[in-house]
Amino acid sequence: MALRRIVKNVTSSYVNITQIPVRRQGMLFLSTVDAAKTSEEPADVRKPVAPPSYRHIYPEFLPDPKMEWRNDIREKLERKDMLMRRVEIDIPEFYVGSVLAVTFADKHAQSKSNRFVGICIERAGCGLRASFILRNVIDNQGVEIKFEMYDPKINKVEVLRLEKRLDDHLRYLRDSPPEYSTFPLDMEPEPLPEDAQVPVNKIQVPLKPRPWLERWERQNLQGIQELDLPDKFFKRAEELATPWEKYDLVKEYRKTIPEEDQQEIYAEVYSELHQLEISRRKMKRKKVFTKPKKTG
Amino acid sequence: MNQADVTKLVSKLRIPLKPSPRNLKSPQGPQGRLDKLRKTVTGLFKYERIELNYNRADEARGYAERLISEAIRHGDSHQQTMEMANFWLMEKQLIHKLFKVFVPRFQNSNQSYTRMLNAPRPYPGEKFKKSVLELRGNPFPSLTPELGYNRNLLHNVLLEEARKEFRATKLTESTAESSNVKEGS
Repeated sequence: MALRRIVKNVTSSYVNITQIPVRRQGMLFLSTVDAAKTSEEPADVRKPVAPPSYRHIYPEFLPDPKMEWRNDIREKLERKDMLMRRVEIDIPEFYVGSVLAVTFADKHAQSKSNRFVGICIERAGCGLRASFILRNVIDNQGVEIKFEMYDPKINKVEVLRLEKRLDDHLRYLRDSPPEYSTFPLDMEPEPLPEDAQVPVNKIQVPLKPRPWLERWERQNLQGIQELDLPDKFFKRAEELATPWEKYDLVKEYRKTIPEEDQQEIYAEVYSELHQLEISRRKMKRKKVFTKPKKTG
Repeated sequence: MNQADVTKLVSKLRIPLKPSPRNLKSPQGPQGRLDKLRKTVTGLFKYERIELNYNRADEARGYAERLISEAIRHGDSHQQTMEMANFWLMEKQLIHKLFKVFVPRFQNSNQSYTRMLNAPRPYPGEKFKKSVLELRGNPFPSLTPELGYNRNLLHNVLLEEARKEFRATKLTESTAESSNVKEGS
């Protein structure tokens, strides 16, 4: 398995090979005659180049960086299915720290559908298995639901508050006072002006006294207040810290998809996603126009 | 299932990479592994061709290529790249060499920046595979045979003579034709 992966990396990395028939979509436009001219050919002649923000808005389109689990054909088919699902429902742009409302089919509910509002504390998975966890406190009970983004049972995903936080995950909300995870179930959406940058909420959440679910002092969290712990905890955290990891270039490489591959993947899906974005923006504007709110 | 990290953009490596890292045993553990690789990468940049065991060479190759690709991508005024170069290159004049020699040498190339070759294992001796790790464009004579045109090989000598003969006959034919034409007119 590893040997096959090595062979694949060798052949796909050399640009000037003309005899090997190339399977990847990005190279399908090359023929043996035109191969010499690829370096001078402009990028947008054959296929569109997606804007660099796409990797933040649609991170689940990138495959799993673990080499043993990569499979070009499966990834292509998954992307196709993802686009087909996105045509049906609008899965908006959101980040960890945004407040979402998800309407999903629930066979146990009277009206067969249910709505959950919560703050996104984690985003995981890639491809069709991309998921996110929403947290809320209902009747003094913390509730978290893990939704799969491409689950056919999901009817609607609305972003009530679009914002980012200082950390990649907000699991520490489980050990913080409930007011930081409580959001009213009938919360109104807070729209941002179009083309505005996503705001970063620099809030520093206090934590309840120990015991905690995880050792938060050992994780480099920016979004929590200074921890009031005895020195021995911080000493132990220092002992277990791995400061050399930030210099480990190859480890970093194994966790990412290189830019060239990213561009190929997003170029594949760009035109469809862009069309969907435009049509949804138009529909939004129409809605705002035709439904004025009652006052008084 | 993991989600790919999108905070940083990296250039694609043009060498085969194993799916998992090698441990490289050392008493300091993972930090010792990186220290060993630092020494190897420093040696490679200093001497441009080094001979060492296969496993360490293969590991160091990835780091050398990544360092050069980061230097090409970001240049020498980028703080994180400078810190990375400062960590990996233990002799500080090599940082200058990286940005002033290797970056201009490799920035327009489509190939890998390093070359790894198998080396003979001394017998009797340790059973570790040996290899030579070198940077492309190094000033030393090539280790691989140059399979270019060798005019002293017998078949090339004969072909060259045949070409000369052909050109000579062609020349006589054309001069004969032009003289016939002149006579005719």
